[in-house]
Parts: sequence; C-alpha cells; structure tokens
Amino acid sequence: MVLKYHISNNTFRDSVYLMRLSSTVRSFEGVVEAEVIIGTDHNKKFLQAAGLWSDQMDHDAGANDLIIAIKAEDDEKAEKAIQSTIEELNKSVERENLLGEFVPRTFETALKNLPGANLALISIPGRHVHREVDQILDAGLNVMIFSDNVTLDEEIALKKKALGKNLLVMGPDCGTAIINGVPLAFANEVKQGRIGIVAAAGTGLQEVSSLISNMGEGISHGIGTGGRDVKASVGGITMIQALKALYADAGTEVIVVVSKPPDREVTEKVLELVSEATKPVVINFLGGNPNDIEKAGAVPAATLKEAAEKAVNLARGGKAEIEVEHSPDKQLNVQNIKDNFNESQKYLRALYSGGTLAYETIILLHNSLGDLYTNLSYDQVKKIEDVYKSVKHTVIDFGEDEFTQGRLHPMIDPALRNSRIIEEAGDPETAVIMLDLVLGYNAHPDPAGSALEAIKEAKEIAGKKGRNICFVTSVLGTDEDMQKRSEQVKKLLDEEVLVFPSNADAAVFVRKLLAE
Amino acid sequence: MEDLFKKELKIINMGLEGFAETLKERGTTVLHVRWQPPAMGDDSLLSLLDKLK
Repeated sequence: MVLKYHISNNTFRDSVYLMRLSSTVRSFEGVVEAEVIIGTDHNKKFLQAAGLWSDQMDHDAGANDLIIAIKAEDDEKAEKAIQSTIEELNKSVERENLLGEFVPRTFETALKNLPGANLALISIPGRHVHREVDQILDAGLNVMIFSDNVTLDEEIALKKKALGKNLLVMGPDCGTAIINGVPLAFANEVKQGRIGIVAAAGTGLQEVSSLISNMGEGISHGIGTGGRDVKASVGGITMIQALKALYADAGTEVIVVVSKPPDREVTEKVLELVSEATKPVVINFLGGNPNDIEKAGAVPAATLKEAAEKAVNLARGGKAEIEVEHSPDKQLNVQNIKDNFNESQKYLRALYSGGTLAYETIILLHNSLGDLYTNLSYDQVKKIEDVYKSVKHTVIDFGEDEFTQGRLHPMIDPALRNSRIIEEAGDPETAVIMLDLVLGYNAHPDPAGSALEAIKEAKEIAGKKGRNICFVTSVLGTDEDMQKRSEQVKKLLDEEVLVFPSNADAAVFVRKLLAE
Repeated sequence: MEDLFKKELKIINMGLEGFAETLKERGTTVLHVRWQPPAMGDDSLLSLLDKLK
C-alpha cells in the first residue's frame, strides 16, 4: 500500500464538485482511498483522520491550494490516479473556456456584469460568509445564505443590517426557497399560485409546497428563514419581515408558517403579527401548542400535510379533506402485515435524509412507541448513544453534521443511508424500515432507484432468515421535478414497497403497525 | 425587498456551481462567481487587510 499526493497551487473548486470528484477517483483501479480537497486546517485534520496524511503536506499546501491524496495498491496505480484527477480538474476549466462565458471571481465584478441583480445565493464556507454578505447588503441585494457554520453573532449582525436597508436575509443554513416561482437550492418545481409560505424548516417548506402543488394549488413565494431565526437572540427578524412582505403581496391570498416551536418571545411577536393579518394564516409549529395559535386567530395544523390541506381549503373556500393520491393504508390490512413479522421483529428503523421530516415522525410516534431513540434533539425522546447503531425504535437523520463531515448530503448521495438499510435488515429486531425520498433541484437524479438497490439486498438478507421487513416510504416532490414523482412512486410500488402521499401519512401508518 | 417579489429575479450565485447550473437550465438569469478565499486563505493577512479597509 502506498500513499501519494499532489498539490495544485492556487486552485479552488467548490466542495460539492470536489466530493463528487473524490468519489470518482475512489472508483479508479487499485485506489483504496482518495480525497481531493482544499488545504484548509480543518481539511488537513480530516485527511489525518482518514489516514491520508503526510507531514510534508502541511508545509506544501495552504488554504488556497488543492490536495489530491491517494492511497493505492502500488506506486504506479497511485500515480495514474493522480494524473487522471489532474486531467479531470483541467477539463472543468476547459469546459468553462469552451462555453465562452465570463466567470467573475468577486461579487464586485459580478455586479458590474449583472446590473439590476436583486438576489445573491451564497454557499461558500461559513467563516467567509459575513465578510461577503456584508458588502452584498451594502450593494442593495437580498440574500439567501445556504452555508452553515456562520456564528450566531454574525447572523444577528447581518439580519439587523438587512432590516435597516429593507432587505431580506434568508438563512444561514437555509436549504430551500421559492421566490417568484424560482426554486432556489434544494427546492421543488411547484405550480405558481396564491399560497405563500414562511419556513424555518427546510424540508418542511419542500414538503408543504410540493403537497400544495400536488393538490392543484400553487405557491406565490416560499421564504426560508434558517432554523436559528426563531431563537430569542435573533428574534425572528426574517420570519417577521417575510410575514409582512406576504401580507403586502397582492399575489398571496393564504399564508402558511412552518417552524419548530420558536422561543417564547418570538412566538409572542409572531402571533401578535398574525393576529393583525388580513389574510388567513395556517401555522404548523412542529409539536407546538395549537391553542395559542387559535387565540391569535390563525389555523393550527398538526402536520405538514395538514398545513398544506388547510391552506388549499382556505384558498378554495372549501372544507373537504383533499387526497393527494389514494393512500394505501385504506386498502392495506394492517393485521396481515403484522402477522408476517416473526416474534423477534418489533422495531422501527426510520432512516431520513430530510431533517424536518424526521422531526415530524418523532412528534407523531413518540407517544405511542415506547423506547424511541434519535440523533436529533427532542425533549421527550432519548438521544441515541452511537448514531451508527440503532437501539429499539430508532429515527436517524442522515443530514446531521455527524454524517455530513466531508461527505455529500444524503439527498445528493444516499450511499451511507443505503448501507444502513442493508445493516438494519441483518438485525432480527427490525420490523419496519421507513425512508423519505426527496426529489427536486440539486437532489439525487433517482432516489427511488438508488434506495431500491439497497432494499432488494435487504429483503434478501432478511428473507434468508425467514423474516419479512415492511418498507414504508413517502416521496417528496412533484411530477414537474426532474425525477418525476409518479415514476419514482411506480418504481417503489413495483417492488412492493409501501408509498404514502406524505411523511405524516407514512408515520401514522407505522403507528398503526407498531404501537404498543 | 418589495422589488424581490415584483421584479424578475436576477441572481448572483457564489459558492456551489451546481446551484447556478440548475437555475440556468430552467431559464433563470444567474451569474456564477468562482469565489476563492480572499488573501489566499491566509487568516492573519485577511485580518490585516480588514484593518486597512
């Protein structure tokens, strides 16, 4: 085994590009481990932990240099992999030159070349965000910050500055937004329409907007605030700005608010503003108190699906329950599925890529399933000790930091979750494996296909031991998404995987199956 | 901010190039910035530059 490395000085590429390239290089013949990574101190520590480190690298590479580190079977294979990687990197520059498009290096130059720009979408490393966004606000642009690792103080400073200039700062850690029908970052292609959404929960915005679109209504704007916006220290600055903007927007007739329960001060401020609304407001404070919401004259919704349904009903002036599609639980015989479990099969293993969806499942199940463990923070549920090892009923969000350090988010690369599906199938206590499949821009091109590879293997493993595992899924997205929801659903149904119209429906079905 | 709802979006994308590509493919006006850490990523040089501002 040999370790070889190459440093490309003054070469910078974005992290998603590099993680994809690293994964390609790992598949080269004779390569055991590989990373193509920028030489920041943080990344150097990562290389050390991954066993791809040589002390000389510290001297040779700085934060503006690119490290190609390869562990291979022999010298020749390592060298070949390095050369192929360099060729790939050069190709990306050649492609850019071929397109003949001007690619600016700074915001200042970009603005000169795109006069009238009104929104900046920022996904640079968190520690550089404040410096860049500060000047972007000075130039009068609204900002969506996808990056995480921005300090709380920086978030507050940027939001206060934006407020003073009547500009909007969505995020940090804002994964999705829809403005004027334009889906930003991890958003879905939804119908344009008369329902506006404000969300401090990324996949919550995706689920509600997709369900509304699938019910035949559309979205005016979907504003993401970032999860920390509703903390007392930030004071809900973006949420309040967004609500006011939707009140004033002639194209918005009904408003939906989705968030984990905000801190008390923020709840009071938001509900006071809601009580002055001249348009109907539906609120889902995931697991929050519905009475306060009703008192403020708004409509509480217990789940993301209920929020979507209630908003659609209000927009249409009707009250009927709306079915996105025929929900399978009306046809399914719960007892039959239960009878198919053998004695040892008792527990749920819910493996999520969308954080808000995982959180919603915990809210819906923790009272009925005793012994629920999770890697998320939820007051009434036990924190799991080892995130790689399920205990009794377990809900895991693979989008949490412990799984995404140096890796792509599970919505882009579900490899880690797929191997967990197979692992859970080997556990005689696993009865139900629950999954979310998230479609949309920048997500995996075929989440159902990818999950099915693992599901088939898992079924085989369990089958050999005489066990039937029940796979319960929901597919978040629309037929207008490039992955086409109906095709994703069909693929799953063809392999006898249960597909529910929403995450809440899937969770309620699991409750019927496993409640004590 | 009212601008944002009333005018066509013109986006400057800084960071992940994929975000600009998907926007471009669906016909949204977007200009990608190939951002690099300022001051060659040198933190001490960066804080010095900030002081000079």
